[in-house]
Amino acid sequence: MHGRKAYELVKEFADGEKGHLKIFNNELFERVIEECNEHHNALQSLIRKMQEEGLEVQTARNAEHYGALIHHLSLIRNKRCLMAYVYNRAEIIRELAWKVGLLHELPGEIQEKFSDSEEQYFKDHSKSLKSYMSQLSLDVNVDMVPPKDPYIKVRVLEDLGSGIILSDKSANFARHSMHFLKRTDAEQYIARGLMEELTG
Amino acid sequence: MAGQSDPHISLFSAEEVEFMAEDELIEIVPNMRMDPLNFICGDFGPFLPQIASQVPLWLAVALKKRGKCAIRPPQWMSVENLTRVLEGERESQGAFQVLPFHYVEISRLLFDHAREDIPDMYMVRSLIEDIRDVRIHKVETSLEKFSGTSAVKIPNLSAMEVNIIRPFVGRALQAFYKHDNPEKIPDVDRASSAQTRAANNEPRRQLRR
Amino acid sequence: MASGAGDWSAEQIDDYETLISTTDVELLKRAWRNEKASPEILPFEEALVKRAKEQIQLMEETVDDFAESGHDPLIASLYQMDLDRAQFLLRSYLRVRLQKIEKFMFHIWKMDTYRNRLSIEEEKFTERCIRDIGKHLEETVLSKLPDNYQSVLKQSIISEEDDMVPEPQLDTFIVAKCERATRPLYLDGSRQSASFDSRNDHFQMVPGDLCILRYRPFQEELMSGNISLV
Repeated sequence: MHGRKAYELVKEFADGEKGHLKIFNNELFERVIEECNEHHNALQSLIRKMQEEGLEVQTARNAEHYGALIHHLSLIRNKRCLMAYVYNRAEIIRELAWKVGLLHELPGEIQEKFSDSEEQYFKDHSKSLKSYMSQLSLDVNVDMVPPKDPYIKVRVLEDLGSGIILSDKSANFARHSMHFLKRTDAEQYIARGLMEELTG
Repeated sequence: MAGQSDPHISLFSAEEVEFMAEDELIEIVPNMRMDPLNFICGDFGPFLPQIASQVPLWLAVALKKRGKCAIRPPQWMSVENLTRVLEGERESQGAFQVLPFHYVEISRLLFDHAREDIPDMYMVRSLIEDIRDVRIHKVETSLEKFSGTSAVKIPNLSAMEVNIIRPFVGRALQAFYKHDNPEKIPDVDRASSAQTRAANNEPRRQLRR
Repeated sequence: MASGAGDWSAEQIDDYETLISTTDVELLKRAWRNEKASPEILPFEEALVKRAKEQIQLMEETVDDFAESGHDPLIASLYQMDLDRAQFLLRSYLRVRLQKIEKFMFHIWKMDTYRNRLSIEEEKFTERCIRDIGKHLEETVLSKLPDNYQSVLKQSIISEEDDMVPEPQLDTFIVAKCERATRPLYLDGSRQSASFDSRNDHFQMVPGDLCILRYRPFQEELMSGNISLV
């Protein structure tokens, strides 16, 4: 059935978890490419046949013409599916470039999902973003969410004593005492259950 | 690769809606003296003890958290007004009462950070919750009037309510529009006819040149 | 509330007062909202971005001075918050634009109207984006296809138009707030204009109105600042 493999390829992408890549399906991908070339060969032989019969290819409307049309349309459909597969994956790769491409190497478990060309695309796009930011002297990949008050009110849940020195102050963090701390300083203690954030 | 409208690109997150609400002005009564603040977003103060002053909500909350002021809840947050609003919401089926665009976010921020400054806090909170519920229900039932049109006025809808209906109503209206004007929105899977193509420069899909 | 139509002088005074009392942060926020909510890329707010960058830089210096001079930490933290808010708006505004460029790069590049809306840096970025994805698609797909099917823009050489290029959907619906009274707009197209207001076929907004609109007929009202998107 024409277009079945290409459909499977796109379906595989669409069924994946949003924003996550599966391994580039090279086998299926190459099978669709092969199909494209088969369609093209079939199309050309039909046109050759029309020419041999002395028909005007542009205007003739015989069985060969409609056969060729179907191969042409199948080829286009396959092409669109191939492009959609690569293009939609490229969108995820760009998101990754925004998130990590400017800072670090990609974690291996993500990188192994890429094809070689995708790996290169990730690097290229990260560079393009970096180049935009350096021309502007402004990082645009930080402050992704609206800012909050950098200070929060916390209550100490376990006696921590006075040995702790934070970025802008030191205090006696006795059990049940309340403090006004930088969010970034307090987060590690909150995460360990040693402090809690107070609202109201 | 056909251009599909992506709802993610145009929606505001809850944090972003709150961020916008934080710029609304509110009255505070400082308990300390402080020089004027010359911010990028405007000049505020000077601040004197017991003298009321208008500041953005984010600043009010920051000062409140640091124990430097009391916040005066806005007039619309009084029990009397909210009771009237709730009655009005219940009485009129189609129309919405006048409330600030960010009434949900403003009241939530005040409940979270300035509880002691709101007289009858529990009453106020339950009134606002009731108003919210009635309004959301009304939003849902009035959706049926949104049919086949290019422009609809939605008087007095709030930011949160807009955010709720946007994805659905936007898509529904677009579907109506597409249905009524099949020639205006290109659909690559549809066989082209000479007539619509001439009118709209649709891509050709024929083997001959 | 401007209810009396035609009172031009009052309206002009209103406009003037809005103009002098509107801070750049307010303008930036409006630009950010518009850019986030509109389907297409809007003209780059060059002067505004320049002013915002300058103000942010000045504020960064002020905040640094506070830190060095051991200034009242309360006041320093308030200025820091103001700075954080302005920076978020500026970055988010620029970011939304880059994301639109990533999405519609081919379309933006071939249309002068859109290309002219880009900043110099954005133009360079678009060019690089096209080069990067072009190379990737070429290597992965196009070079493996038969000759007549190798275009990144067209399905095949038979296509007369670029039928592989993602375009913004301008018939999408947006939510808009009226800033200044709009001119009466006749919404063409069959029965649609009549259904929302049976008394006449013209649609007009006055300041404060909140509406759900089809984007395309209201493009100009957005560009002229008569409406803003929320």
